[in-house]
Amino acid sequence: MTRYAMAVDLNRCQGCRACVEACKIENNTPNAVFWMHVFRLEEGEFPNTKMTFLPRPCQHCNNAPCVKVCPVGARYKREDGLVLTDFDRCIGCRYCEVACPYGVNFFNWRNPEEAWGEYQIPFDDPDLASVTGGAVPPYKNPDHDVRHGPEQRLTSGSAHFKGVMEKCTFCVHRVEQGMLPACVDTCPVQALRFGDVEDEDSPISRFLRDKESFQLLEELGTDPSVVYVGGNPPSSHAREIERPLTGV
Amino acid sequence: MTVAHSRVNEPLPQGVGRLSRRWFLVVGLATAGTAIGVVGWLVEHEQGMVATGMRDVGTMGGATWGLYISMVVYFVGVSFAGITVAALIRLFNLEHLKGVARMAELLTVVALLLGALAIVVDLGQPLRGLVNLFRYARPQSPFFGTFSLVVSGYLFSSLVYLYLTSRPDAARLAAKPSKLQPLYRVWAAGYEDTPDQRARDRRVTFWLALAILPLLIVAHSSLGFVFGLQVGRPGWFGTLQAPAFVVLAGVSGIGHLIVLAALVRRVLHEEHRIGMEVFTWLGRFLMLLLFVYLYFVVVEIFTAIYQPTVNEQRIGDALLTGEYAPVFWGSVAALALPAVGLAWMAVTRRWRIGWMVAFGALVNLGAIGKRFLIVAPSQTHGQLLPYPVGTYTPSLVEYAVVLGLFSLGALLIAGFMKLFPIVEMEEAAP
Amino acid sequence: MMQPVSRRAFLKGTAAAGGTLAASRFLFETLDTVAGADALALGPVEDRVFTTCWIGKQDCGMTARRIDGRVVKFEGMAGHPRNDGTLCPKGQAQIISIYDPNRVKTPLIRTNAKGVSGEWREASWDEALQVVADEVNRVRAEDPSLVLWQKGRSKSEALYDNAFIKALGSSKLGHGAYCSDTGYRALEYTLGLHGVLNPDLLSTRYLLAWGWNITNAGGNKFCWITWPRQMLEAREKGLRIVHIDPRLRAAGPFADQWLPIRPSTDLALALALCNQLIAQGYLDRPYLTRYTNAPYLVGEDGMILKETTGDDQEIALVWDIASGSARPATEAAEPALEGGYDIDGSTYRTAFDLFKEHVNGYTPEWAGEVCGVDASLIRQIASEFGDNARIGATTVIDGVEVPYRPVGIMAYHMAQQELGFQALRAMTMVTMLVGAPGAVGGQLSDSTWKIHKNYAAFEDLAVNDPPYDFMLKGSKYFPINTGFPGMVAKVMQDPARYGVEKLPKVAILHYVNPVLAFPSQPDFLASYTKFEHMTVISPWMSETADLFADVVLPAATIEKYEGPLSAGDGYIDARVLRLPPMDPLFESRGEIDIYLDLAEKIGVLGGEGGYIEHINSELGLTDTSFALPDGARPDVRDIFDRWAKAQGLSGIDYFETNGIWVKGPVPPTSAYGYVTDPPFGGVVHRLYGESLLKAGRLMEEKGAEEIYYQDYLPFPTWRQPTMDSSPEEYDLYLISYKLVEHKQSRTTLIPLLTELSGKQRIDVNPATARRLAISDGDEVVVESHNAVTGETRSLTTVASLTDGIRPDVVGMPHHFGSWSHPASRDLGPTPNEVFFTGEGYMGQTADASFQVKVRIFRRGDRA
Ligand SMILES: Nc1nc2c(c(=O)[nH]1)N[C@H]1C(S)=C(S)[C@@H](COP(=O)(O)OP(=O)(O)OC[C@H]3O[C@@H](n4cnc5c(=O)[nH]c(N)nc54)[C@H](O)[C@@H]3O)O[C@H]1N2
Ligand SMILES: Nc1nc2c(c(=O)[nH]1)N[C@H]1C(S)=C(S)[C@@H](COP(=O)(O)OP(=O)(O)OC[C@H]3O[C@@H](n4cnc5c(=O)[nH]c(N)nc54)[C@H](O)[C@@H]3O)O[C@H]1N2
Ligand code: SF4
Ligand code: SF4
Ligand code: SF4
Ligand code: SF4
Ligand code: SF4
Ligand SMILES: [Mo]
Repeated sequence: MTRYAMAVDLNRCQGCRACVEACKIENNTPNAVFWMHVFRLEEGEFPNTKMTFLPRPCQHCNNAPCVKVCPVGARYKREDGLVLTDFDRCIGCRYCEVACPYGVNFFNWRNPEEAWGEYQIPFDDPDLASVTGGAVPPYKNPDHDVRHGPEQRLTSGSAHFKGVMEKCTFCVHRVEQGMLPACVDTCPVQALRFGDVEDEDSPISRFLRDKESFQLLEELGTDPSVVYVGGNPPSSHAREIERPLTGV
Repeated sequence: MTVAHSRVNEPLPQGVGRLSRRWFLVVGLATAGTAIGVVGWLVEHEQGMVATGMRDVGTMGGATWGLYISMVVYFVGVSFAGITVAALIRLFNLEHLKGVARMAELLTVVALLLGALAIVVDLGQPLRGLVNLFRYARPQSPFFGTFSLVVSGYLFSSLVYLYLTSRPDAARLAAKPSKLQPLYRVWAAGYEDTPDQRARDRRVTFWLALAILPLLIVAHSSLGFVFGLQVGRPGWFGTLQAPAFVVLAGVSGIGHLIVLAALVRRVLHEEHRIGMEVFTWLGRFLMLLLFVYLYFVVVEIFTAIYQPTVNEQRIGDALLTGEYAPVFWGSVAALALPAVGLAWMAVTRRWRIGWMVAFGALVNLGAIGKRFLIVAPSQTHGQLLPYPVGTYTPSLVEYAVVLGLFSLGALLIAGFMKLFPIVEMEEAAP
Repeated sequence: MMQPVSRRAFLKGTAAAGGTLAASRFLFETLDTVAGADALALGPVEDRVFTTCWIGKQDCGMTARRIDGRVVKFEGMAGHPRNDGTLCPKGQAQIISIYDPNRVKTPLIRTNAKGVSGEWREASWDEALQVVADEVNRVRAEDPSLVLWQKGRSKSEALYDNAFIKALGSSKLGHGAYCSDTGYRALEYTLGLHGVLNPDLLSTRYLLAWGWNITNAGGNKFCWITWPRQMLEAREKGLRIVHIDPRLRAAGPFADQWLPIRPSTDLALALALCNQLIAQGYLDRPYLTRYTNAPYLVGEDGMILKETTGDDQEIALVWDIASGSARPATEAAEPALEGGYDIDGSTYRTAFDLFKEHVNGYTPEWAGEVCGVDASLIRQIASEFGDNARIGATTVIDGVEVPYRPVGIMAYHMAQQELGFQALRAMTMVTMLVGAPGAVGGQLSDSTWKIHKNYAAFEDLAVNDPPYDFMLKGSKYFPINTGFPGMVAKVMQDPARYGVEKLPKVAILHYVNPVLAFPSQPDFLASYTKFEHMTVISPWMSETADLFADVVLPAATIEKYEGPLSAGDGYIDARVLRLPPMDPLFESRGEIDIYLDLAEKIGVLGGEGGYIEHINSELGLTDTSFALPDGARPDVRDIFDRWAKAQGLSGIDYFETNGIWVKGPVPPTSAYGYVTDPPFGGVVHRLYGESLLKAGRLMEEKGAEEIYYQDYLPFPTWRQPTMDSSPEEYDLYLISYKLVEHKQSRTTLIPLLTELSGKQRIDVNPATARRLAISDGDEVVVESHNAVTGETRSLTTVASLTDGIRPDVVGMPHHFGSWSHPASRDLGPTPNEVFFTGEGYMGQTADASFQVKVRIFRRGDRA
């Protein structure tokens, strides 16, 4: 059996946010939506200042609060470890978001077509449409119109319906094609790794073998599928600097 | 035969069927309010929930549950009080309170309806919701508890309850020729208030009352668990959610009952069947609940001051001195003043209906405030990862929708009063 | 370095994609891809093509995933030495800007006055090119050098920087004076190499990351990805990093030791390190004696003692201990490194002797004061540097024995300060003392040891009398002259002041946006109106074009051929071409097409000294069977096809199928100076800068003011930077830097990137903020002061508190300030509004400085 997991190497992460960008483009998430977020953290006083970077995808918890509370089973856990959202079934109650300790859920507050407005780039420009066929965004990824997994549910990509919950999918559409998640694939310094932890000698298993690691908010017992190597969990005194533009 | 006793050609009691100018005024206002709510909801539906003040928890620094969920909790609370009072009256046969029994039952039904609507307006996909919530219902989800169980199960039983207890009156009215007679015939459905029928109904309602109480506790606890079970939300997990919920629920419900009773007493000149003793009883009950609840508040304040974790500390500060302080202390005042006022009346034994109405309204404001404070701060200030502290202010749309809900409630009650006696009719002298 | 799985997956993936899409069509009748409904019937066609990043300066390799010919994603090219399968945020985000309808869609001709935001009419390519050609020819007839071709970063140097310029005979102005050309000049002068300081990163153990913005920018040479990767690899093998920077953010978690230095005092620190290395005896005498001019005998007049040979070649003399006499350096058996010697009546001392004396006063305590860091740290770093240098050690690489000095310096924008030239020289000397240049793990400057022509040219610096050309070449102001747009702007405002008679009349701007990207904005605003004609070649309406262009020619973004481009990472040598992943959008064209058409219209395409002839020679096609035939306008793909064939490849198809041409590892015999043939390319490293002294004296004679000649000294010599004489209420240093999410001013129009980077801000230390009653997020006014002219300038931005910056320093990213694109508007100002240029705010080699004294206060606090 397969169980996918992600490893984050904090000794390598440069905080560059290429993973964030790759995620946004691969999954066509609109403005202010960060399925992947990279904290840039600062601690201590000059000159004894310390900096750390902390990438934060959905943790794909093995004991996922979000799955437990979903009243309609739209948020579900797959055999292979992925925690997904069925965009056709979700009723938009946002209970999963309230239950998630990691703040990784993003609700479609806006009509998907309008969600791109803040980018101030007129995708509907006729000269452009003649090239892109009017796709919104112009780099729209067709993989997301496809149903995934044996369960054949609509689970990948972003901005499908207004009023529906979304989050990191571990790039189910890529993983099912044997590709790495977009964030892992683009990371310039290989700070992200992904693979099957059930398989003894998958790259990720080999990477994690006899290494110290921790999970975010371990104490909550959510048992994330994302494990961090090197560094420590963020201290409660950590200050976030250089925040992205997050408002809608 | 009871029918023989009936006196013909009399107008229906309690102004039923007769539409006064005052009534039209009230209904007019209520309709307007409801309309505003509908418009608000249409806007929200059109633009998406970006029209509300709610935003994502996390990088967006918002609250994804807001005023609407607060109102769900609040309305379900009100209904709780209604049905409890009604049940107590039946169970212990408190004759002197009979006058408010039906009001209480009506209040329950209306409040539950509004609670259900409050959930619907909070859904991003309301239409899907109505289908999927039942089609794919998951009992494991506390949400299922609040929605499907509380609202539907409990709405159903209280409707049955209201119906059974109203049948005797329906039978009486059915016996009179009036333009509503056909309605009452259907309502009475062959019930003729014969002694054994009456006995049977008594028994049924008794057992139903008995059944409703535990259902109630379960329902409201599960409502508490919606929050209480969330490990990831400092300020929610493990707190005295369930008990506090139930008590505050009582407070808001009794408050409403007092207001409603006073209104009816005045409008329908029911001074003797809704006598002072009704108010003293309700007043004492409310006072009792208030003091119990204020105890919870004190505990809450202390825990807020001496919080174990940084995160809970952050929420505590937000409540006591920070962003939410005005709402917090406002609500506390709105609950404390009436408590004191009622205590004073209780001691001096001088009960003033006017004041009690004011208190009844006040405690409800307090209750709404407290519900809000349970919902919002743990989201905006309860992040366990180093996200920025968030903010949440309801938008006009949300206020409009809430206004709509209250107006709809008023509309329903006003409507009921013109269809059926809101105060139980006296049994005809044998 | 990609995970094995992903390589396999990559292929599987593309194959599988088809399948899933088929499935999807089966599942839904309406699958909304770009292709219109009819095309849908056949279903979308997916493929991947190779190209290179259009944004950055290291041209990372990319594969473009296409659906029905529409690019939906860029991913890193697997196996590319620089980015092996990965991309930075900019590389990812550029996709949105290709499709940006705000691009300049057609050629535009100005319809309103210059100096204000432009109004335009669309024109045909033919019309627009004709306008440009006429203007160029009008001025060429008078004097071709008055046609100015100004460039920023260019991607096909051979084809336009060189061939096109030569064909026109026009002047060329680069962006280097704002980048790090001072560093290049310093290294050309000192080691003869065309590059700045970078270590043999993969083998070094101790690195002074000197103003190296590790986690955001490239430093020397590269754009970003390559060196961070190598840094991590080295770190996992034990590399220790000393981060010398007023900000911690640059090295972030990777600073093992942070030396928060006061801006513009790097020269002082370098001198103190020299002082300590000598004091603590960390000296590689063999290197200094054999490969530098340290043993040269210097007279009291500061001139090196020389004798003239038969073929009147001048040869420097050293003191030969063996023979006890002064002998030509080339012949002495045992040159003395130290000491003073009497030769026919007058005393001569070795250059090294003078250097020891020179740095004697530059103690750690002294430098501690100047640099605002504690002296013990400087001592400690010097000894750690000395220890790690393992003077005397050697190692064997590919069978070649090479000296092993695993210590180095990464410094690039240290060039961007008033004393940049001498600072870079002093830093180089730090590495020279321990013999690190050209050693394994030691100091490099480029991946080869090719000697740059400037090494010889700088031996004898021309200092002529006026009149000068508008770039002041060979003037008494800048004997070493990088070609400085800021200075040209000054000259254009007051030619007489600089003894200049002829000003440029026509400008062609290529890939450059001076108004936004260069200090100082006010100078460009004041001078660029003076061009009789300006053509801007750009995909975007740059701010410079908006204000000053008469004609804007829409360049394609990534959808074009460019090259040949280097793709090596310093260890592997490789070349690439940019291949267009789709046809140019709208009516845009690739630059090479534009230049070919322009050359044709101007009438310099073919014939003697024509564009084609120059292309042939620049690409090395002349007299080969691949040479472009004269006359006919060549097709761009064909040009590169011929070039590829000339390299012995099958043709351009080689790149279309393989993406990149990996030539193989750089051999140690070209990577390490000690073992090249001849060693260090046969040059003597200049510890002592005699020609600088000579030039300085000449400048003074010819009446140049002190501010110009004061730094023309044989040894790097500390003086207080000019800005320090600003009144003390200007109590803060403003510095600028780059963000990983942006590339200069060219990316703030990419909303995906601004979304990640946030808007403009100014970093303030909390202590400073408290003192000034400023809190995080407050709007603050930043007011700069010019110590020479007394002028003040100000801008308004938002305070962002961080403990990662010195309390006496504030910092701003430089990317913002754009107004010509809806998405880049309202992001905040560029610091280039308040930086100064010209005397006191530039280096002795005519290069920009990026530091100024400022005061800040809450908006509204002061009038
Ligand atoms: N993301 C990104 N990468 C880029 C670029 C880009 O625009 N964006 N540009 C590319 C180009 S063209 C270049 S030239 C390189 C530049 O590469 P770098 O030189 O590494 O990048 P900068 O940000 O210019 O580096 C300036 C650093 O020096 C520090 N500094 C400023 N003043 C002083 C001083 O007086 N003393 C000391 N010791 N430090 C000082 C700043 O705090 C900053 O950390 O980056 C390349 N890579
Ligand atoms: N304050 C401060 N200022 C700095 C720096 C700093 O650290 N601080 N860094 C300096 C450095 S290192 C450098 S290298 C310079 C760079 O400065 P520039 O080379 O001027 O870089 P950009 O600002 O990106 O300007 C490039 C312009 O070229 C145009 N362009 C974009 N893409 C293309 C294309 O494909 N083809 C053509 N023909 N044109 C295109 C766009 O109009 C864009 O505005 O900035 C310098 N400016
Ligand atoms: S891409 Fe890699 S290095 Fe950059 S932030 Fe993400 S994880 Fe860190
Ligand atoms: S991180 Fe949040 S959303 Fe993701 S699985 Fe865990 S609980 Fe669910
Ligand atoms: S928002 Fe959707 S996924 Fe989340 S709990 Fe509600 S129904 Fe489930
Ligand atoms: S795994 Fe995919 S969805 Fe999740 S963060 Fe990475 S790129 Fe985004
Ligand atoms: S590092 Fe530079 S060249 Fe490479 S992808 Fe990023 S921007 Fe492009
Ligand atoms: Mo640069």
